[in-house]
Amino acid sequence: MGKAEKVDVVIVGCGAAGSVYAAIFAEAGKRVLALEKGPGRKLTDLYSSQIWARRLKWGAPHVFEEGKDSIWYNFNAGHGYGGAAIHHYGVWPRYHPEDLQERTLYGKGLDWPVEYDQIRHYYDQVQEDVGMSGDAEKEIWRPPGAPYPLPPLPVFEHGNILAKGFTALDMHTSPIPVAILSQDYKGRPACIYDSWCDAGCPTGALANPLVEYFPRATQAGAVMQSDSYVSRVLLDRQGTRATGVEYFDGKGERHEQPADAVVIAAFTVENSRILLNSANDKHAGGLGNSSGALGQYLMSHPAVTIFGMFREDTRCYLGITGGQLFNQDPFAKEKNKDAFGSRQWEIGLGTKPNDLLGIAMSRADLFGDDLHKFVKQGSRHLGVMVGVCECLPDKTNRIELSNKQDKFGMPLARVTFNLDDNGRGLWHQAAEEGLEIFKAAGATEAWHSPPGGQHIMGGTIMGKDRETSVTNEYAQLHDVPNVIIGGPSVFPTASCVNSTFMAHAVAMRSAQHIAKHWNQLIIAL
Amino acid sequence: MTLSRRNFIKQSGLALTFTVAGKTMLLTPRQARAGNIPFAVLTPEEVSALETICDHLLPGARENGVAHFVDQQLTVDPNDSLLFIKYFNVEPPHVDFYKSALKEINLLSESIYGKGITAIDKAEAEKLIETLRDGKAADWNGPPSPLAYHILRNDAVDVVYGTMEGFEALDIPYLAHITPPRTW
Repeated sequence: MGKAEKVDVVIVGCGAAGSVYAAIFAEAGKRVLALEKGPGRKLTDLYSSQIWARRLKWGAPHVFEEGKDSIWYNFNAGHGYGGAAIHHYGVWPRYHPEDLQERTLYGKGLDWPVEYDQIRHYYDQVQEDVGMSGDAEKEIWRPPGAPYPLPPLPVFEHGNILAKGFTALDMHTSPIPVAILSQDYKGRPACIYDSWCDAGCPTGALANPLVEYFPRATQAGAVMQSDSYVSRVLLDRQGTRATGVEYFDGKGERHEQPADAVVIAAFTVENSRILLNSANDKHAGGLGNSSGALGQYLMSHPAVTIFGMFREDTRCYLGITGGQLFNQDPFAKEKNKDAFGSRQWEIGLGTKPNDLLGIAMSRADLFGDDLHKFVKQGSRHLGVMVGVCECLPDKTNRIELSNKQDKFGMPLARVTFNLDDNGRGLWHQAAEEGLEIFKAAGATEAWHSPPGGQHIMGGTIMGKDRETSVTNEYAQLHDVPNVIIGGPSVFPTASCVNSTFMAHAVAMRSAQHIAKHWNQLIIAL
Repeated sequence: MTLSRRNFIKQSGLALTFTVAGKTMLLTPRQARAGNIPFAVLTPEEVSALETICDHLLPGARENGVAHFVDQQLTVDPNDSLLFIKYFNVEPPHVDFYKSALKEINLLSESIYGKGITAIDKAEAEKLIETLRDGKAADWNGPPSPLAYHILRNDAVDVVYGTMEGFEALDIPYLAHITPPRTW
């Protein structure tokens, strides 16, 4: 066993949230060590291939998925430097103010411990840091905030064809807000619209964690360490303060890493699993679980993909994976017929022949010569958009420990997820509306996917009341405040909005606050 | 000219490491098949069954080396796997899934037609695949047959259309960030 030199902050997970904490703390003069269970990947390791893209996705330790609906954990989560954000699509809309006050405004869901106005500044700062592209004026649903630093990405045939359907139904479209460069920015090149985002962007046009915040962190002295699998948080004898983490290196050797503060930013399921596996006599139900809420309120956005065949050449292989245009007309939570919650459309997704979201999979029933014929036609004439729906927080959707163990003897995670009537109702509305839009756009045929799950949130939710939540508004555990949680696991509600931008903003707010009040919040505990 | 691993991958789109008699070679699955590279985990019967069902699912899968692709990938760590099955809620090791599915497919063929999967004709294969896809296989004791259908079908799609050669066959540009000098 090795016991290393103490650092100020040890960060578990080299993904989006971990990168922000690493940069802010390192730039504040803290000694930072970021541990990553997967490989130490560089941008030049990102091959333009949907097959090779699978190396970026989660593979082990296995997460057992139970319940009626899947959160598609392995597809959504990441492995190696960059985490899930290394293969995310860079679609970064903002949460709306009402998303953060659902309980107060509607008597549904939960309230965040902060309001939009307290987050807005950090949204603005992050978008300036990474270089977002969009059109704030045309994005008529957008909450208040600074204009995008870059103009929108160009719209190709695919987007223009689908936009006709929205226009015909008196619906609005805007350029999609993305963390992808439409112009060169801070030494990074503009996007070349080859639509390999899912395979990771090796040029740095898409703002993954290896592009902005980890370079800043390492420049300020932070150290990133790969192949370091963190199993639990270590505590002092009183159980009131974390003293570091236990991890296993690539050879299976056990280490202890002492630190004044521990940031758990290992993505939604692993965050809860590590805390549950850190149980001891002072925290019998898991670290940070005095409320009993640890692992609860797991959320995933119900998503429906609309496909259609068009006479025109859509050139659907161009653009970016996340879409070319955007719509939030069905965002008003109380106006979606008999289901409560918000919806949005991402329009004109870049699509390749193979993989889960590829052309061949869009007609999973076809095989043989029919499949050849379909893929051939689809590679030129397919139209694709995705409807993303809200999932309300429900404590019965949860992350627990399995009775099976990993190779180090630590219990694996099992998740239970059942979409409620609201989520299912929104999904059906989106499916129906999407087909109408495609028909109005001139599709010769249109169909939709079965329910899918996008983004994974909850499990370590933040809240004002320590009796009902796991962390405070700065993502510190109520029970052990020198443990800080990073990522969408702290979100109390899901909205229908892609989670990565908010994960950055929340981490930025927490990191700046904790760094500013370091002695009071961390040392003097 | 020395060909680095990175450059070879750029050129081929799907080059894998095969080990034969202690020597390590970078080959595409298609090249591995053409070179009769030995299999690591699948038996000859399983290889024949896999090639046959995948070639019915998408003609061309056999020639493009689907069996070598799957076999080689079943030897790697689950985190490094390039197989489509990685996305699904199937606990590793995935070799168990493949062996069980292929065994059950062969048994299904024998129960319906009185002969194994490699001996049935195209029309018989189509009916068998529909049975798999629709989850209507009687006495099926393997992983869910619709899931087996999806996994094997997409393995076939990967080797036929997931490569630069596949894009070329579809007459769409591959658009790699760094344009490869040639295809394989």
